Amino acid sequence: MLLLPFLALLSIPFCLAASTSVEDVQEKLVKLAAANNGLIKLDDSTYNLLTHPKRTWSSSIHFTALDPRRKCIPCKEFDPSFTAVAKAWSQVPASERNNHFFATADFDNAMGTFQKLGMQTAPVLHVHLPAEGPRSRGRTAPIVYDFSNGFDAAPLAEQLSQYTPVRIPYRAPVDWAKYGTTAGVTLILLSGVRLFLPILRSRWAWAIGVVLTSLVMTSGYMFVRIRGMPQSGANGQWIAPGYQNQFGQEVQVVSFVYGLLASAFLMLTLVTPYQTHPYRQRLQVYLWSGVILVMFSVLISLFRVKNRSYPFKLLL
Amino acid sequence: MPLAYTLPSNLSPATVANTSSLLRIVALALISGAAIASRLFAVVNFESIIHEFDPWFNYRATKVLAEKGFYEFWNWFDHTAWYPLGRVVGGTIYPGLMATSGVIYNVLHALHLPVDIRNICVLLAPGFSALTAWSTYMFTKEMKDESAGLLAAVFIGIAPGYISRSVAGSYDNEAIAIFLLMYTFYCWIKALKTGSVLYGTLTALFYFYMVAAWGGYAFITNMIPLHALTLILMGRFSSRLYTAYSSWYAIGTLASMQVPFVGFQPVRTSEHMAALGVFGLLQIVAFAELVRAHVSSKQFQSILFGSVIVIGLLGVFAFAGLTYKGWIAPWTGRFYSLWDTGYAKKYIPIIASVSEHQPTAWPSFFMDLQFLIFIFPAGVVLCFRELRDEHVFVIIYAVVASYFAGVMVRLMLTLTPVVCVAAAIAFSSLLDTYIDPVEPEVPVASTEAETPARDSPANVAPGSATTSKKAKKAAAADASSSGLASGVLAALSPSGKSAKPRGIFGLDSRALVIANALGMLLFFVLHCTYVTSTAYSSPSVVLASQNPDGSQHIIDDFREAYYWLRQNTPQDAVVMSWWDYGYQIAGMADRPTLVDNNTWNNTHIATVGKAMSSPEEVAYPILRKHDVDYVLIIFGGLIGYSGDDINKFLWMVRIAQGVWPEEIQEPNYFTAKGEYRVDDQAAPAMKNSLMYKMSYYRFAELYGGNQAVDRVRGQQVPKTGPTLDYLDEAFTSENWIVRIYQVKKEDPLGRDLKTANSFDQGKKRKKSKPLSRRKAVV
Repeated sequence: MLLLPFLALLSIPFCLAASTSVEDVQEKLVKLAAANNGLIKLDDSTYNLLTHPKRTWSSSIHFTALDPRRKCIPCKEFDPSFTAVAKAWSQVPASERNNHFFATADFDNAMGTFQKLGMQTAPVLHVHLPAEGPRSRGRTAPIVYDFSNGFDAAPLAEQLSQYTPVRIPYRAPVDWAKYGTTAGVTLILLSGVRLFLPILRSRWAWAIGVVLTSLVMTSGYMFVRIRGMPQSGANGQWIAPGYQNQFGQEVQVVSFVYGLLASAFLMLTLVTPYQTHPYRQRLQVYLWSGVILVMFSVLISLFRVKNRSYPFKLLL
Repeated sequence: MPLAYTLPSNLSPATVANTSSLLRIVALALISGAAIASRLFAVVNFESIIHEFDPWFNYRATKVLAEKGFYEFWNWFDHTAWYPLGRVVGGTIYPGLMATSGVIYNVLHALHLPVDIRNICVLLAPGFSALTAWSTYMFTKEMKDESAGLLAAVFIGIAPGYISRSVAGSYDNEAIAIFLLMYTFYCWIKALKTGSVLYGTLTALFYFYMVAAWGGYAFITNMIPLHALTLILMGRFSSRLYTAYSSWYAIGTLASMQVPFVGFQPVRTSEHMAALGVFGLLQIVAFAELVRAHVSSKQFQSILFGSVIVIGLLGVFAFAGLTYKGWIAPWTGRFYSLWDTGYAKKYIPIIASVSEHQPTAWPSFFMDLQFLIFIFPAGVVLCFRELRDEHVFVIIYAVVASYFAGVMVRLMLTLTPVVCVAAAIAFSSLLDTYIDPVEPEVPVASTEAETPARDSPANVAPGSATTSKKAKKAAAADASSSGLASGVLAALSPSGKSAKPRGIFGLDSRALVIANALGMLLFFVLHCTYVTSTAYSSPSVVLASQNPDGSQHIIDDFREAYYWLRQNTPQDAVVMSWWDYGYQIAGMADRPTLVDNNTWNNTHIATVGKAMSSPEEVAYPILRKHDVDYVLIIFGGLIGYSGDDINKFLWMVRIAQGVWPEEIQEPNYFTAKGEYRVDDQAAPAMKNSLMYKMSYYRFAELYGGNQAVDRVRGQQVPKTGPTLDYLDEAFTSENWIVRIYQVKKEDPLGRDLKTANSFDQGKKRKKSKPLSRRKAVV
């Protein structure tokens, strides 16, 4: 009568095999996901389940290192976006929801996986497409998400929606603080309309605004903003090398030089002729002419730093 | 009244007027000569040749127009572009430029002057720059006076910011557009000043010409309404404004809709809605003014005021509703990217990929405008001081254009005219002040009274606070007659109102300021000559380098390769290249191309990008499906030409990724460390890409066993170069800049080309390897 236990013993591997059948794995994953706001926390074994070779589901796996000891600042920036998108996915009807999983693998929990994949940097986002089933596209290797759109949740949801069975119903949370500030500022402006009206009606207030705008714009402010250039470079260098390049501080310096030169011209044209004392007037003329000459030389020498082949120079 | 220097007094006013008018004419003629001459560097240094990329298409279209007539040109369907789609040329271009050259060509031939159409095209831009100088003169004359106008004409004539787009051979829409822009603005100012319908209609006609010539007409479409709106908000509504604006808008809009490429856009897109909105607002305001003139009841007026606001709001809501319903198209991508500067990079990489759409760093401003760039704010302040209706225009133009020029290098072109005008106003005011020989009278009394007043606070005992305050006040009052602060106050008060004496004493102050000013002008001329001759006069079709002895060496690889194609390939051989070279291939080699510089079909461009960035096996079916016979690439690694395809390669990848995100991914083309390399450590996707293989095919052999170096990237290329199975090297130009590959036909035995190649080389197929299936080729 040893046969029965022996048979039972024999059947153990089959049971195990059955437990790892595709449906069971999927069920297990659904439970894991439901337990944590639609986001599976991965370790080495659950990673293998999720990337089952016969999977019929797709998944987005986010590799990160959130532990403060790892000092991964971009990880901390990206994590809320990914969590928000995963949460948005959990609102999808169950039939669709269970065909795509969101998972996070932290370095400290899934070191083996990180080593196996040879991952050097974080955060990384892999998208695994289904290996089998109707949604399979015949690609088993993961798709690496391209972070060129930044760490924001909206483009992330947009991009991931290409791989999910239905669109991710992500909606950016309402930014109450922004609306509040706008409303507050509008209220203050409206209540102070009597105070501000004389300023709005004064041509010189507008003149200052216009001149400052054009000074700042012609000193490359938009370049610094669009390219996200730093204020100054490493080791205190404030002039960016290269002709088509500049740092934030250059905007200030150049617009100041431009402004000084323009005001020297204005002084000579408008103010000096009203000086009724001959000697003082002469002093002013000499002073402003000197300012023009010196500042123009400074400007030229600045330009020579940027464009080394420029052949001309003034005093400096 | 004392004079600093004496003027001849025996001249009649008529003589003075006649002489100055003669001088003005001579000056304008000389300015035109200088403007044309400074643009001929390219012709002198190289030859009379069409430059760059887009001009090649314009030239080709103009040739069709000149040879076959206008109607043939209008109905021209270009089978050779965007193969196999083709392009309806008449409906997808701004025909103004070609029509202008066509008219000149026909007029010259009617006069029995057999000028070649190419020479007309090459010299059109310099010719129109003389007209631009003249129209800027007219415009500035309306702002200040003739002398400021002459200065503005000189400035625009030689400013590199405008020369960069109008050298001889740069046969592009901008060549005539800046003249039209300035002349339209001049007519508008004139119409506004006189309230004449004639000038309003002239504005509309030149606006129509502008619409027919350049896509940048939207700038006028928004500038004039903005000016009108500002005038209304400033309470400067007048019947002159009403007449000028209404005649411009009604005629101009109807006329602009006659251009097929524009069509119904003026009533259906957001870019044109500001003009329509201001037109409606003007009608309402004019009606309100009319009623107000006849009714005196205050209550009625307040009701009217309320109803104006309500109607305005209703209009805005109607506009929003129409946009929401899709009747009015929202801002187009190109326009939108000016406001949201991150937009283009995210959604339309093809726009972001163009180098002239990059933001502008300050050295570019200085390079293009030199000292004008810092005098121009002074001119704007002077405009504020007077603030007539036309000065408001200059102010708005200055703000708007300086923002746009900061966002896009290309829009420096629209900033240049206003900078020239404002700088001319400032500069001529300065010269007016210091050339005027009249000296103010020295107010003897005030200078004497001042000295004791200055001393008085010191003399007063410290205990008596009240007296010291009084004394200070008195001193301040006295000082105000000559102090700096009072000068500023007097200067700020609008001109003509201040009764204070104004003038310069002595000759030395005058001499100093004028010498300084002349020195700056001279420096400006030197700067412009230098910049024009070195930076802006290269045709980019022909390159120049220097031999060790300093003599010029011409690199003519592009034309060499294009003529090879022209003479050695069948007429209908399809050439694939990146879109930059489409127009040149069509223009010089006369062969069909897949994509060209008219980037209207993103998917087609992405297809080329995909073929270039995929491995050979993947690219080959794409090439065969598009009937591609030759693939042309630009490779600068041998002589260090940095504008080559490997440097543009990432844009091909990006654009392809936009359409096929699963197959092409940008990060795959970087090494694990995120570097862009072409040497041994290059990423596998990079090494297998068709572009890489074609660029470096047999490159290492050139070095005969030594280490091959790519001179653009400064990297060492692997000694065993890539191999090609599906393409054959057909032609490589002298300096290896252009390389042309022939796409092989399918193997006659039905084998995979890779297998066929290895069979030819005598390699045995490994038994274990599964039989490679023949690729399905349609």
